[in-house]
Amino acid sequence: MADGILDTRGNGMTKSQVMDIAMDMGRILLKSGAETSRVEDTMMRFCRSHGYYDLNVFCTPTVIILGDESAHGKSRVFRVRWRAIDLGLIMDINNLSYNFKPWGMTYGKAKEWMRERIRRSHPYGNLLVSLASGVGSAAFAMLLGGNWHDFVAAFLCGFAAMGVLKLLNKLHPTAFWENFIAGLVIGFIALACCKADRNCTMQNIIVGALMPFLPGLPFTNGVRDYIGGDLLSGNSRIAEAVLFALSIAVGLAFAVKVWTWGGLR
Amino acid sequence: MIWLKAFFFAFVAAVSFGVLFQCPKRMLWPGGLIGGVGWVVFTGLKGQDVSSFSANFAATVCVALLSELAARRFHQPVTVFNIPAVIPLVPGLGMYRGMYYILENAGSYGTEILLSAVMDACAIALGIMMVGGIFRALKKSHDLARYKTEDRLGTSGSPALYVLTAEEEEARNAASEREEMANRRHARETLQKAEEQKTKEEEA
Repeated sequence: MADGILDTRGNGMTKSQVMDIAMDMGRILLKSGAETSRVEDTMMRFCRSHGYYDLNVFCTPTVIILGDESAHGKSRVFRVRWRAIDLGLIMDINNLSYNFKPWGMTYGKAKEWMRERIRRSHPYGNLLVSLASGVGSAAFAMLLGGNWHDFVAAFLCGFAAMGVLKLLNKLHPTAFWENFIAGLVIGFIALACCKADRNCTMQNIIVGALMPFLPGLPFTNGVRDYIGGDLLSGNSRIAEAVLFALSIAVGLAFAVKVWTWGGLR
Repeated sequence: MIWLKAFFFAFVAAVSFGVLFQCPKRMLWPGGLIGGVGWVVFTGLKGQDVSSFSANFAATVCVALLSELAARRFHQPVTVFNIPAVIPLVPGLGMYRGMYYILENAGSYGTEILLSAVMDACAIALGIMMVGGIFRALKKSHDLARYKTEDRLGTSGSPALYVLTAEEEEARNAASEREEMANRRHARETLQKAEEQKTKEEEA
């Protein structure tokens, strides 16, 4: 890519190189579930630390626009469709934007570092995450006052639901379908457990198993965005959280209806 | 003994939510501890007949304060400890019971429970925002005392950053012009080279 006169300030990176890396950072952050203000702050801090004050960022949960305010400035747009939460990656990229003085890395090294870090992302594999989901559901069922039967049943529900979702990952279902299927699986397994074992309480099992799928993070980030002044992202994240919750409820209701319809109650 | 059991299970729950969110291993147990403390505060207050909203708010404020401290201790952003620790407080039970009663045709009772659940969620968000806001304000006043005026980058700060003098604007536009001309020249040259390559291949 021709960068014309090497208009470099600071660490010897041209403007389009800085924009490249800033876009990469923003994209990784957004895809890992960071909130809007964090994405914008990280990108802006990076651009300004390299001396380019006329770059500006607009970010919503699904789009990043990085623009150049000067005449003949080029802008870049990135569209995010698929998000998977990875707090460790958010941490590392955030720290990267702070470590710029002195930033030893050249453009090539920085891209290589980021590529390597992405390769190491999502350190907990599908099995471990499903187990964690099961353990979390089971612990929560105990917190709500269940007994050990509820513990086992909630573990099964949480593990199976998350396992099914991870298996379906390749199809890239939208958030609605993901939560719907999770609700469905939880409903069926909970009903089966309650039928098989008299000591299980439906309520404890289902609420325990629901917890990994409830939109705690999007809701919190939405309110944060809202109060931080990003009304668009705040609104969309809160709407997303409501959609998640509704879709789980619809999945559960569907499971219950199918179960009773099949005459198995 | 009941507190210990509640703390232990809340710890396990917060740690497993940390794994769900792909928290790095070293940061899992602080999040778990903070989550345990938050849950114990929440149930303790509810046992004292405090309203659900206030109990959630107080527990979230505790969690947020502790996670700010942990963030400073471990030099990580607050969300790494905040998010897994707050998840046990999220009102899943209220949501489920509300939906259940709505589906069983007890609509008004269901919406009452749902409303209470939504208020609890708002209490959690409020708690996080307040503590976050206080700490951000403290940081800003600390920075101002050290003559740094940039806070939220790009949205405020001294106007000198955004109103360029005439010379600065000239220089910026000139540099941009030069870059644009060089890009066009390079594109033209690349196209010429490609055409020459093509004619050479056709001749050969």
